[in-house]
Amino acid sequence: MKHRAFSPVRIAALTGNTFTELVRLKVFYFLLIFALLLIGSSIFMAQLSFQQEFQVLKDVSLGAMSIFTSLLAIVATAQLLPRDMEERTIYTILAKPVPRYEYLAGKLAGVLLLLLVSLLAMTAVFLAVLFVRQEMLASETLRQTTGLRPEQVQEAVRALKASAFSANLLPGIVVVYLKAALLASLTLFISTFATSNIFTIFVMVFIYFIGHLQATAREYWLQENSAGWIAKTFLALVALAFPDLQLFNLVDDIVAGTTIPNGLFAQTALLGCVYTSVYFFFAWVVFYGKEL
Amino acid sequence: MTEPAVAVRSLTKVFPIPFRRTKLVAVRGLDLEVAPGQVYGLLGPNGSGKSTTLKIILGLVSPTSGSTAIFGRDSREVGSREAVGFLPENPYFYKYLTGAETLRFYGKLCGLRGSALKNRVEELLHLVGLQDARDRRLGGYSKGMLQRIGLAQALLQEPRLVVLDEPTAGVDPAGSRDIRDLILDLKRRGITVLLSSHLLAQVQEICDRVGILAHGLLVREGRVEDLLAIEDQTELILQNATPEVLAQIAALVEKSPAQLLETRQPQTTLERLFLEATNNTEKK
Ligand SMILES: Nc1ncnc2c1ncn2[C@@H]1O[C@H](COP(=O)(O)OP(=O)(O)OP(=O)(O)O)[C@@H](O)[C@H]1O
Ligand SMILES: [Mg+2]
Repeated sequence: MKHRAFSPVRIAALTGNTFTELVRLKVFYFLLIFALLLIGSSIFMAQLSFQQEFQVLKDVSLGAMSIFTSLLAIVATAQLLPRDMEERTIYTILAKPVPRYEYLAGKLAGVLLLLLVSLLAMTAVFLAVLFVRQEMLASETLRQTTGLRPEQVQEAVRALKASAFSANLLPGIVVVYLKAALLASLTLFISTFATSNIFTIFVMVFIYFIGHLQATAREYWLQENSAGWIAKTFLALVALAFPDLQLFNLVDDIVAGTTIPNGLFAQTALLGCVYTSVYFFFAWVVFYGKEL
Repeated sequence: MTEPAVAVRSLTKVFPIPFRRTKLVAVRGLDLEVAPGQVYGLLGPNGSGKSTTLKIILGLVSPTSGSTAIFGRDSREVGSREAVGFLPENPYFYKYLTGAETLRFYGKLCGLRGSALKNRVEELLHLVGLQDARDRRLGGYSKGMLQRIGLAQALLQEPRLVVLDEPTAGVDPAGSRDIRDLILDLKRRGITVLLSSHLLAQVQEICDRVGILAHGLLVREGRVEDLLAIEDQTELILQNATPEVLAQIAALVEKSPAQLLETRQPQTTLERLFLEATNNTEKK
């Protein structure tokens, strides 16, 4: 039998195994429940005007989703490789006809699956809260506007619904996911050479903050210096080491209710995929020759 | 000539010691061949390089120089691992999986699927005597049970070569005898076995050939009988011999050019004693 250099069955087995491992960890439930509570509690918010209320609701929920998925991506990925190496389970896996990139791909795919499931759960709660608040406010509006003409009532309800559900929610959530995927891939890369998972998490938190601040820093720096090729190369390197996470922050647009242009969305999505693949490639390069 | 199941050619492995100038040579210029169908025992004191050699053969550690091959395929090729089952020393598996789940997972990595996989998992759980523990998580397994699941995992894809690093470490004498029988059964089926062990009595019993490593050097190598035979001595074991018979034998020896070195009562081995005692309590 000829050995197959690439086998979806093997990757699926590794993915499923990683997913099971993460799901059976208690920290995952703790984080997920915390995020769901945060989103769910918005239902008891103080009375504001409905525009304000929906704005706060989206701001809090999307913020919670973004931070939770990012945190989960980092914490979950950081311990995958170190643990396998420490407990030497990696020997039994790589002693099977499993190429090392399949092993890495299975690990990353398992994390991505976990992130997808958690984000879907949070999205479901978020949309449910949004829907419940919208219905509550709509019936309230109907009660308060008994003296008005039917057209006016309908107009008020339509305005209400428009500010609750807007078309930009979906791309916003997709971008939250891509940001987490990028962070997971980068964490995997760092964990291939890190000495401990505390180190990995520490570095990732650092990168997370720099990543959010770097856009501002770059603008400032470009104002001070002319943009020669040295400067451009330097900036490219910085952008590779510290992905510009601010690009993945569409929450402000969503809260403001402005539509996200398709072009911008496609560009951001592509950027996320490219970053994720590049970091995965780096991880493979380091892991390929690694002594176990 | 048939292709060797395992070929190790002038293999050297040097581990750098971090923050020191010195290096640690774990294996020095090792040459070794295991013929198909043989049971080969790798012996040696702690730290002599047994596990390192086995890991290099499995492609888990890269050699500093020299090469290893399995059935003619270099260990660096992933495909060379198709026909091999490996049990590392003190194996650990994923604690959150049950015994059956573990075997299913490794089975998929070997390319097994569907009902073939299911049947094979059942068969192996039965073979290593873990049917009762199949739905318990490995976190709650004892050391010997982990060793058994490790053995089952190594046999999943019906390999032509089985590499076992201290297969009986931490296993009770009865289990250790089961493992010995299992290895002999593999041998009967023509499967090559390469194992490392500290239990010399056992190695002597099951291995066709042994190699003894010391400080990474192969200091002795050959067929077990050849290595152990003391050519100018003969052992007589008599049952119900009367003192007169013994006296006659002694007199005969006296007259011949041979010398009687020692007369003693054979002792049962501790292993046999242990097995008999524990077997009896089992049956009560
Ligand atoms: N990853 C590593 N880094 C540094 N040194 C190592 C590494 N692995 C093994 N060694 C060293 O190589 C030598 C041989 O180790 P090895 O594990 O092969 O011994 P062994 O014969 O299997 O011993 P034991 O009977 O205790 O299992 C030891 O001195 C060990 O310290
Ligand atoms: Mg060893």
